[in-house]
Parts: sequence; C-alpha cells; structure tokens
Amino acid sequence: MRAPAEGTLRKVATFAATFGIGVATYIAIVEAGGGSPVCVAGGSGCHTVAESSYSHLLGVNIAVFGIAGYVLLLAAALLRGDAARMAGFVVALGGFGYSLFLTYLEIFKIEAICQWCVASAVLMTLLFGLNAVRMVGYVGRPA
Amino acid sequence: MSGKSSREARREERLRAESEGDRDERRKRLLQIGSAAAFLVIVAVAVAVVITQSSSDGGDTNLEDVALVNGEFQGIPQSGLTLGEKSAKVTLLEFGDLQCPVCKSYAEGIVPEVIDSKVRSGEAKIEFRNFTIIGEESIDAGAAAVAAGKQGRGWNFIELFYRNQGIEASGYVTDEFLTEIAKGAGVPDIAKWNQNRKDQAGALREVQRSTEEAQKLNLTGTPSFAVIGPNSDGVEVLGTPGDAGTIERAIEEAS
Repeated sequence: MRAPAEGTLRKVATFAATFGIGVATYIAIVEAGGGSPVCVAGGSGCHTVAESSYSHLLGVNIAVFGIAGYVLLLAAALLRGDAARMAGFVVALGGFGYSLFLTYLEIFKIEAICQWCVASAVLMTLLFGLNAVRMVGYVGRPA
Repeated sequence: MSGKSSREARREERLRAESEGDRDERRKRLLQIGSAAAFLVIVAVAVAVVITQSSSDGGDTNLEDVALVNGEFQGIPQSGLTLGEKSAKVTLLEFGDLQCPVCKSYAEGIVPEVIDSKVRSGEAKIEFRNFTIIGEESIDAGAAAVAAGKQGRGWNFIELFYRNQGIEASGYVTDEFLTEIAKGAGVPDIAKWNQNRKDQAGALREVQRSTEEAQKLNLTGTPSFAVIGPNSDGVEVLGTPGDAGTIERAIEEAS
C-alpha cells in the first residue's frame, strides 16, 4: 500500500500539533492559576484528574511537558528532511506511550475521565500515526 | 559514434544504479537509527511511568486509591476533622466508625456527592465524629484520624482508611497499617502523628468524647448524620439516610 503524500501528512500533523499546543496550554495556565480545567460536558472528572498527584512529574505539571512535546511536533511537521522525519517519529512515540499510561491511570487509578486529557491523547495518537507513516515511508528519500 | 553513446549510456546506467544503491543504503541506516531511537524513547517512557507511580503511590505501599483520595479534597480547607469553609452556615455531622463497612460505602458514594454539591461550594462544612461501636481497633483507628486532623490531613486519612478497609475486628488495624494510611494520606510529620494518636488526654479522649455524644443523641448505628444550622432545631438528627439528596435537602432547610 502506498503511503499518503508527505505534504498531506505534514499538513495534518501541523494542524494536530497546533491544536495540541492549545489544549496543553489551557490545562497548564488554568492549573498554574490554582484552578482546574472545566469539563465542557460538565462533571468533576477534570477537577479530580487535575488535582490528583499523577498530574505532576518530578514536580512539574504534565501539561508543561505536553506543550514542549507538541511544539517539537509542530516544528517537525513544518520542517523538511530526514532529521525532521525522525525527530517527529521519536517525539510522537514518547508522547503516545505516556498518553497511554495516563489514560490507564484515569480509568483504573484515578477513576475519573478528563475530556481535555482524552483530547490530548487522541491528538497524540493521531500524531504518532502520521509521523510513523512519514518516517517509514519517506526517510532516506529526497525531501 | 554509436559505440561512444553506448558507453555513455552504460556509464549513466551504472551511476544511477550506484546512486539508488547509496540511497537504499542510507535509508536502511536511517531506519536502523530510528529504531534505536524508538527503543530509547520506550525506555525513557518506562522510566517516567515508574517515577510517576512511585511518587504518587507513596513508594511501595499496597494502598488503593491514594491519588484519588488526595485529589478528592484538594482545594477544600480542613481543620481537625472538619472539611469545608469555617464560615459555612450549616454543619453536617457524620458519626462513623472507621471499621464499619456501611460507612465505607457511604464514603465512596453518598458523602463525596454531598461534598461536591454542598461543601465545595461553601454552603456547608462536614465534621467527622468517631462513634466507635465495633471494638478496640475502632478506637485506635479513630484516634489516628484525629491525630491526622491535627496536621490538616484528617479527611484524607478517613477516606483512605475506608477505601483500604479490612474485615471488621479481624486484627488488620495494626500500627503498620495505620502508619501506611497516614503516609498515603500525606500526614507530613509521622513521628508527631504517632505521639498524638496515643495521647490519652488528647486524641483517645476525643474519640471517647464523640462516642459519648453519639450515645446521648440516641444514635443507633453508623454512619449517622445530623445537621446544625441557623434554621435547625439545635442538632437535628437525620439518622442514616440512604441517599445524598436527603442530606442535601436537610442542609438547605437548615441554612
């Protein structure tokens, strides 16, 4: 099966990474102000997840790592060449793996679902798929 | 002439083949590097997962729901065994025994609903009072909760205890178990907590006092609830309502 055109993959990745920056920045800003994200459909899931001790890694809010990851993914999507293809894949793999773990925590440990975290997990999964196809399909080929 | 162009064609063919070979070789090498990097990323994610788990679960404890409980009360003021704003007009009293399985089911279902709807909003505060009816272990557990309350983690202790409750009067309420709960609840000074929970004139006296108070109110079981507010007739006993709505309505009527 032929991989989609690299330009298309990069465009979709640019859109997803930009959206991801927005989601992660919202969570980080709200929590820095002492609050917690508001679940659009109501409920206290977002509050419970944000206030749980799992929301920080080494004392830093996980959303901050999310912003950094999405910024790198945006840069990888905007740039051409093998370095961008490989960096995009590696960062997306890390983000996807950690998103899986966070989703497991939400369901089985915290027992609450935060829509913003789900949105981020979906975006990271999409970005992983796009970057994996881009890497396998186009690395070593002319940009 | 034809011999020359044939040689050039063969040369171009050879160069193109070499170039494609180089490209394939480079692609293979890059994919190998990518695979190695992917492996390193997987290791890094595994390390991050271990760090997150250990920092959130209080190390190697076997407690359930540590993160859930500590998240539940985040942002709500606590003083002693009172949860909520001091200025709240209505006080909801909960008389409970930490070994009581019915109290556990209330702690997991009905009480969090009331906390979310009435305590978090500042409409009411909720005060836990020990009503030790099951046995000696309940007194130790209750005193440990009172001692945790002195360090601002009373409700975390109570809720975490309920979520890790064993079979009543089975001997599971040991010093080790209580210490594990205190650590999981985030009690900052365990040495001081140990000292306080064994204080005959302090925490243990407090447990005895609240149990006597429950008896004076003619409470017959745990958990029992009561409200005190500007429109209540003193301490209004609600008994053991089976749903959060009844408690919420009582708070509204008392306010």
